[in-house]
Amino acid sequence: MTVEVMIGRGRDAIDMVVDPGSFHENQVGDVTFPDDIGPGAVVGEAAIDGRDVVVIANDAQAFNDKFPVVYFGVIGLEEAYKMAKVVYTTIKQDADKPVGEKRPLVLIVDTPGNGPGKIEEIFGMNKATGSYQLALAEARKSGHPVIALVIGRAISGAFLCHGLQADHILSLSPEFGTMIHVMPITSISRITKMDIERLEELSKENPVFAAGPQFFYQLGGVDELVENVEDMRPVVARHITEVEAAKLAGDGDATGPMGHGTLGEERGGRMMRRKVIERMEDEFASVAQRYL
Amino acid sequence: MSDWKSLEAKSFYGASARERAIGIVDEGTFTELAGPQNRMSSPHLPVLGEAVEWDDGCVTGVGLIGKHPVFVISQEGRFIGGAVGEVHGAKMVGAFVLARQMYDRIKEEHPDELAERLPAVVISFETGGVRLHEANAGLLAHAEVMDQIQESKGKFPVISLIGSKVGCFGGMGFVAAATDVIVMSDLGRLGLTGPEVIEQEMGKDEFDSADRSLVYRTTGGKHKYIMRDANYLVEDTLGDFHDQLTAIMDAPYDEIVKCRRIGSEELVDEQLALAELSVEMAPKDARDVWAYFGNEDVDQIPEMTTAEFLAVAKRR
Repeated sequence: MTVEVMIGRGRDAIDMVVDPGSFHENQVGDVTFPDDIGPGAVVGEAAIDGRDVVVIANDAQAFNDKFPVVYFGVIGLEEAYKMAKVVYTTIKQDADKPVGEKRPLVLIVDTPGNGPGKIEEIFGMNKATGSYQLALAEARKSGHPVIALVIGRAISGAFLCHGLQADHILSLSPEFGTMIHVMPITSISRITKMDIERLEELSKENPVFAAGPQFFYQLGGVDELVENVEDMRPVVARHITEVEAAKLAGDGDATGPMGHGTLGEERGGRMMRRKVIERMEDEFASVAQRYL
Repeated sequence: MSDWKSLEAKSFYGASARERAIGIVDEGTFTELAGPQNRMSSPHLPVLGEAVEWDDGCVTGVGLIGKHPVFVISQEGRFIGGAVGEVHGAKMVGAFVLARQMYDRIKEEHPDELAERLPAVVISFETGGVRLHEANAGLLAHAEVMDQIQESKGKFPVISLIGSKVGCFGGMGFVAAATDVIVMSDLGRLGLTGPEVIEQEMGKDEFDSADRSLVYRTTGGKHKYIMRDANYLVEDTLGDFHDQLTAIMDAPYDEIVKCRRIGSEELVDEQLALAELSVEMAPKDARDVWAYFGNEDVDQIPEMTTAEFLAVAKRR
């Protein structure tokens, strides 16, 4: 197994996942994106095994001169809207293509957060991250396979923004230092006033609070852990095929967030979710007539 | 039901999640679903030695506004700050699932009355987002709710009500942004990053999280109304929120969705232009933005009553 830490190396990861020399930054079909907007988001078209894909990645080396809180892979206002725009552009260009021919979107994830500044709040960072998620959900529902690959950090709201709306989510295994969490266990320890040792012991039984891709795997939030960097390309390619097959079969909820809910139950990680929804359906059935 | 009538006069800000759920729909029409008698509480909190609530801090159910079946999600800030865990999140998703089933049923059984019977999902937010004690499950639930909002598009409206004590922050801040219509009161607060985290990132000189008026200027109902991030600003009573919902549901669906601020390429272009404007403007405070959009006497805006403000406010 090859352990090569990929944190901060979004651009390298693009080269490792797509066909050599196939990545054209800021180009999606006949649309060219400006290079001075959202430098923390790397976007463009490429090919995997000869098939056209659209790539959206984080660049942890980039600083956004216009927004001082945006660096080290943070998704700021410009980054999120740029990412959303790439998705809408792809949907529009492929609108007439049938499912099976629509270009896959490949998200390479290495982000510590959404822009946390005052200007961001005044102008509404919540809209920026929300708009990218809606765009990805629309792409997924209109037949584009959306695959996320976590190579470094996928932290809290930034993972929701860039990753959790994908059909399938892959992550390099914990040996790569991959971080998927809302808060590190040290912070959970402070909030719950429990020893870190005790929390780590508990997390073996219950994956809902502990930090790490293996726990998200158990909860169905990660479909597959990738154990070698050399495997990134074939595993992404395989998941594109699998997701596309599910879409062609017409089962929209087999993949994406709702599919991950089912997967979480199959893996024993989220056992209440379905019971709650079914209880609501049962109780509503007995009163539905009053509301018709 | 005199109870309901007295509820209508009550402050939305101080009302419990259940009072809000009952009071925002028509009199006597609310039925709670997966309520406390089911004891569907969090299986994860006891593991960490925390107390549970039998409704997991989220009241869900169905009521009517006119002939419209309205599926209500109402969050309780008094329980762990209204934070979202596995059960709370599943109840949110469940409300969307039911609304969609109802939509399909009305289309089939009352095809000529779809407009007047169109269902809705209404979310009364009071939350800081993910519940840290079950953070991973809470995060995944947020993604499901975003998926459900997108799934609702083109079918029925999803409406946000924000005017409770905790406000609407964290991941739920973008869930609200993704809905079709946002109704706020002056006391409502909406954002992504909580004030303490901004202070931590930028320093106390730049953003003092203890400065309540600064926090309100940045995230409060009046600011969001000027920015068109809130579509309607109403007085702080359950009755005013109920009346606004009634007015929204009276409008045709095609009109309602014009309230959206994100969710299409055109709206992304509009918001990106606004982000570029923020660079040009470089505001030190939300007041600078209010002045930019043509408001006079910006120092007085926080002091105005809602009616005074609505009479003079200039919006983006």
